[in-house]
Amino acid sequence: MSALPDTVIVEPLATGAATETPLGRIARDFVTNPIAIFGIVLLLLVVLAAILAPFISPQNPYDLAQLDVMDSRLEPGSKALTGGTYWLGTDDQGRDMLSAIFYGLRISLSVGVASTVLALLIGLTMGLAAAYLGGRVETLIMRIVDIQLSFPAILIALILIAVLGQGTGKVIAALVTVQWAYYARTVRSAALVEKRKEYMEAARCLALPPSRIVFKHLLPNCLPPTIVVATVQVAAAIALEATLSFLGLGLPITEPSLGLLIANGYQYLLSGKYWISFFPGVALLVTIVSINLVADQLRDVMNPRLQK
Amino acid sequence: MYALRKFVRLAIAIVIVSLLPFASPSSAQELKIAVAADVTSADPHFFNLFPNNNIAEHIFDKLVQMDPDSKMIPGLATSWKTVDDKTWEFKLRKGVKFHDGSELTAEDVVFSIDRVPNVPNSPGPFTAYTKAIIGKEIVDPYTIRFKYAAPYPLAPNDLSTIYIVSKKAATGATTEDFNSGKAAIGSGRYKLVRYVSGDRIELIRNDNYWGEKSPWPKVTFKIIKNEAARVAALLSGDVDAIEQPPIADLPRLKSDPKFTVTSKISHRVIYFNFDHLQRVSPFITAKDGKPLDKNPLTDLRVRRAISKAINRPAIAERVMESQAVPSGQLVSEKLFGHVLGLKAEAYDPEGAKKLLAEAGYPNGFNITVHGPSGRYVNDEKIVQAVAQMLTRVGINSKVETAPMGPYSARASKQEFSFHMVGWGASTGEASSPLRSLLATFNRDKGLGAVNWGRYSNPKVDYVIEQALQQVDDENRSQMLQQATKMAMDDLGIMPIHFQYTIWATRKGVQYVPRTDEYTLAFQFKQAPGEMAKR
Repeated sequence: MSALPDTVIVEPLATGAATETPLGRIARDFVTNPIAIFGIVLLLLVVLAAILAPFISPQNPYDLAQLDVMDSRLEPGSKALTGGTYWLGTDDQGRDMLSAIFYGLRISLSVGVASTVLALLIGLTMGLAAAYLGGRVETLIMRIVDIQLSFPAILIALILIAVLGQGTGKVIAALVTVQWAYYARTVRSAALVEKRKEYMEAARCLALPPSRIVFKHLLPNCLPPTIVVATVQVAAAIALEATLSFLGLGLPITEPSLGLLIANGYQYLLSGKYWISFFPGVALLVTIVSINLVADQLRDVMNPRLQK
Repeated sequence: MYALRKFVRLAIAIVIVSLLPFASPSSAQELKIAVAADVTSADPHFFNLFPNNNIAEHIFDKLVQMDPDSKMIPGLATSWKTVDDKTWEFKLRKGVKFHDGSELTAEDVVFSIDRVPNVPNSPGPFTAYTKAIIGKEIVDPYTIRFKYAAPYPLAPNDLSTIYIVSKKAATGATTEDFNSGKAAIGSGRYKLVRYVSGDRIELIRNDNYWGEKSPWPKVTFKIIKNEAARVAALLSGDVDAIEQPPIADLPRLKSDPKFTVTSKISHRVIYFNFDHLQRVSPFITAKDGKPLDKNPLTDLRVRRAISKAINRPAIAERVMESQAVPSGQLVSEKLFGHVLGLKAEAYDPEGAKKLLAEAGYPNGFNITVHGPSGRYVNDEKIVQAVAQMLTRVGINSKVETAPMGPYSARASKQEFSFHMVGWGASTGEASSPLRSLLATFNRDKGLGAVNWGRYSNPKVDYVIEQALQQVDDENRSQMLQQATKMAMDDLGIMPIHFQYTIWATRKGVQYVPRTDEYTLAFQFKQAPGEMAKR
């Protein structure tokens, strides 16, 4: 990130911000919108709940020895056989819903973030390579991207999970495969625009080595749109993981993520046992909405054209 | 805007029109039943598949039929007996007419049995039930004799699976001719009107039926695979009865006076296979994740500990919502070979821990429990409950489930250590699970075909083989019970429960439930007084 200042100065609209770091400016602009502050507070709460899950959950929902099928499908507020209260009720295996949601958030967020970071790395490399090298490499990479984007993400993920089998690592692999193409396309278009600017020409005229041109000059200027795409894609990855689990294809059934919790409760909805689906659904909704609020504001802040 | 309004009006019109048929209560003369699985053919010899047989039961008769408790009763044969050790004689019912008016004779029976192995492209023929017959002799038009190579007590049981078709109608007929209805000429309670694969089967009553006639002149079976859609069809009045309502919806259906729920213990036992092979078992490790030097499941004390660790009443009550009875044996009460007084293993976690310690595993071990998903009632939930109970006595359990196709392919290759399956005793007696699940695997003798844990005990084998040749019912029952007791003492497999088969009907229609899980139109009765109200 140390290269950011000299490149940002090149931006004609960044005038008067020379004494301020770009991160500072982003932070300052970000907090101007109360909805965005609400979003980021919500997101922080969700992240904290996920990180602190082992300490704040009344039960470890993945330790089968702590579950009792005799406690299954209890209403919110019911007392457990072993003492304690199930504040959000229990599911069909006697799992405390509150603990299951905390742990479920943990899985959802870590799968979402891990797959996004990996997909971002792959997408950045591919996009930069395509834009900078051009020619056959570009054609090859971009046609693969086109083919991949012409399939619905869920379809590719389903096929991959069916082939790879179940498990956290495999779900992440499937999500990365589905997502890298978005980054590749975004980065390439951003890089193509930057490539023709004067500072790039200057860098080339100075006969800087290609690695320095790409990583110090081209890459930092392609980052803002990519970061915006990544924030939105974290939410998409979480939703996709939930969809896969809902279909029973994601993670092991003894370690339910939010999607599987919703699927488990879905069949009890008609019989009035709403809590098994409802609360995980709310948790998923809050997570995705808060990420999207933050992503929206980030997009506004990082897009120079939207600056006043 | 105009287009939108037009669209809304059209949508409302469509909704009203589509609701019209349901607005009036469906006629008491027609019975509409939603079934859960697709019927792949109307040819009764094409594929030995439950949904196909369920329809064949209406159109065709068999020499020997089964009553709702899976007891053999006379069908097209009025009586049967052994002439000598290896010969069975069946007396046919006189005056039975096929749907086309021709009379049933011994010729039709011979033709039907000869047709069984000669149906082209059959994915699952009935040959297991006919291949023991080495000779057929027509004594007179109403008497037929079957010859066997060895004493064969199961002849009537076997023939209770073979549907009798009309020789006149079916000679040279293909499976397609049956599907179109041309050759589907039986002597059963119903005639086939229309068979639409994947959608519906329409039947009309055979008023010349030889036995008790069905109360319903017209019957339509609708195929609705999704269980929520099936319940919705019942709730909306689209159908009068459904099979297999989801267990989660039972409380709601039971509390609604507009519907009746009927259930009956099934002939299907849900059980676990142990890996009995003398080697390192694929899904068992020590607590620290290192492989164990031997397979703990070959030790009876470990198997007993696992059985004791499982709280079967809790599974029946909480997981199955009381739609199951805990079991300690292979067939439920009333079935031939049931051992009176052989109870399910009592829940005893302390005893389980003690046995594990005795066997040299005071801290337990790690295991992966495998199960099918969506094959048996609440199968995945049973596997999870079992895993949680094992973990509580120190056997750390993980759970893996898969759809039945790939699952059974792996299970049959001994790729699992401890896995769940179900078995329906379709012949109505304990010999069915004994010879398929517990006899030592032997392809040539056709024994142990589904013995996926590769349990093998020569003493049990001996008793099973003796029983299979014992023509005297009383003796055979004793031997089957003895074999069951020996295999259960040895925990060759570990039974969990017998599941219930469930039907839900609208008020005014009642089902006389069956052990064999069939949904038969003629077993639906109109509740008394219902006609007067209409």
